[in-house]
Amino acid sequence: MLVSMDGVSYRYRTWPALEDVTMGLAEGEFLVISGPSGAGKTTLLRLMWMDILPDTGALEVAGFRADGITRRELPLLRRKLGIVFQDFRLLPDRTVYDNVALPLQVAGTAPRMIRRRVFELLAEMGLSHRRISYPHELSGGEQQRIAIARAMVSHPQIILADEPTGNLDPGVSRMIVDLLMDINRGGTAVVMATHDPRQIPEGTARMLFLDRGRLSDPGFWPGMGS
Amino acid sequence: MALLRMVFREIWLNLRGRRSSLLVTLLMVSLSFVVFDVFLLVTWNLGSMLERERESIGMEAFLEEGLSPQAARSMGDVVAGMEQVRSVYYVSPREAEAIFRSQFPRREEMLDLLSSEYRLPASLQITPAESGRSPAAMEELARTVAGMEGVVDVVYGEEYLSDLSDTVSALARLDLFAGLMLVVSISLVVANTVRLSVSRRSLTVQIMSISGAPGWFVRTPYLVEGLMSGLAGSALGLALVALASQMLQGTLGHRFLPLPWSLLVVGLGGIVGLAGSWLGLRAALPGLGRAGPVRGGRIR
Repeated sequence: MLVSMDGVSYRYRTWPALEDVTMGLAEGEFLVISGPSGAGKTTLLRLMWMDILPDTGALEVAGFRADGITRRELPLLRRKLGIVFQDFRLLPDRTVYDNVALPLQVAGTAPRMIRRRVFELLAEMGLSHRRISYPHELSGGEQQRIAIARAMVSHPQIILADEPTGNLDPGVSRMIVDLLMDINRGGTAVVMATHDPRQIPEGTARMLFLDRGRLSDPGFWPGMGS
Repeated sequence: MALLRMVFREIWLNLRGRRSSLLVTLLMVSLSFVVFDVFLLVTWNLGSMLERERESIGMEAFLEEGLSPQAARSMGDVVAGMEQVRSVYYVSPREAEAIFRSQFPRREEMLDLLSSEYRLPASLQITPAESGRSPAAMEELARTVAGMEGVVDVVYGEEYLSDLSDTVSALARLDLFAGLMLVVSISLVVANTVRLSVSRRSLTVQIMSISGAPGWFVRTPYLVEGLMSGLAGSALGLALVALASQMLQGTLGHRFLPLPWSLLVVGLGGIVGLAGSWLGLRAALPGLGRAGPVRGGRIR
């Protein structure tokens, strides 16, 4: 299991964000976590990249246990993850190339290797011509594709995408979902949090439903147009 | 090597576009150092003066009238044998008169007015050894010599020496106080600048952190910012004081701080700047200051 949660709970002061969550993520799996706003989707993802740690319960991600991880190990865990946000979070003072290259640069990768990997990814995303542009010069869809390229650049084991289509129109959203599915077909596990699971074609992913911090298997797939 | 190059690049990106806030910090650090440097300069000059005075200071033991030159010389030999004494010179009454006439030529008539039987007293001029030049040692030596048979009085610049020594000590304490104030105020100024800097670049810090950047990599640009503010501020403050010192040289005889002292002041600036940025980082990124297992709370 790449991610294993057993009886995990987390509170923001007195408000219970997650209660007794037990779940797992297998290698190469595509997991959709759905639920209304405030259900705890973002909290669940933050626990996975250990931005926060559970109050109770056991959590293990990519071989790192939450109850034993040290500050020195935290960057090693993060290098096994790629994180995509709803608001892209590209660095405005850097070019597309530098934004995508950042995870490799902070890991001390040789510049020649970085160049090769970034060019390869930008070509795959159809954004080679944008490599010297700045984020504010790109459309929303392009910015999200760059954010996905940044998440993918260091060959992570898991992509954690928090409402990656939340700020995009339906056409572009479809393209981003297709891109994540392509990435998953390449062997990378994907966890996507979304309030609208209808964007994911039935049968292509496992779905979990969160409601007021509690996880459940909905037992059905909310099809397109339903 | 690639990582080091990246760190330098982050330092540059961190400093770029923040000219006004950096300038304000630099100015505040410089002005604080100007005050400190002036105190230091005055103390150092007074200290040097005290040393020179101590080196030239002597003691004179006046002898009883009628003491034979042989007895006076043997007494001088006894004094010369003391640990705190470097040398002793016997001044006969005739030599004392010659010295008086040469040192006070306008007052020669004072001697002429006295009867021919009056003679200036013979004395022993005592030069203390290096270890015997402190006010306490001088006082002890004077007491010992004054207690010897045949000695009428012992004089030396005890009040002057003591006052000068007290003034230098008081200034040194004031320097220490000014130094402490300087450390606190500059640390707070730099800490605040670094906090603002981290806050301005919070997105960069977050993205670096989730991209797997080690803690030292995230912290280094801000620590370098504090170090540079401290070094540049103290150097600028020192340069301003040096310029003022040069301009006042004609009217106020003094010497500027020697190079090792100047380097120490600049080094102090660097250390204080670094400490300030560390404080700022602890406030802005509390998680980065700790090591060991992470238990609860948010990790940045």
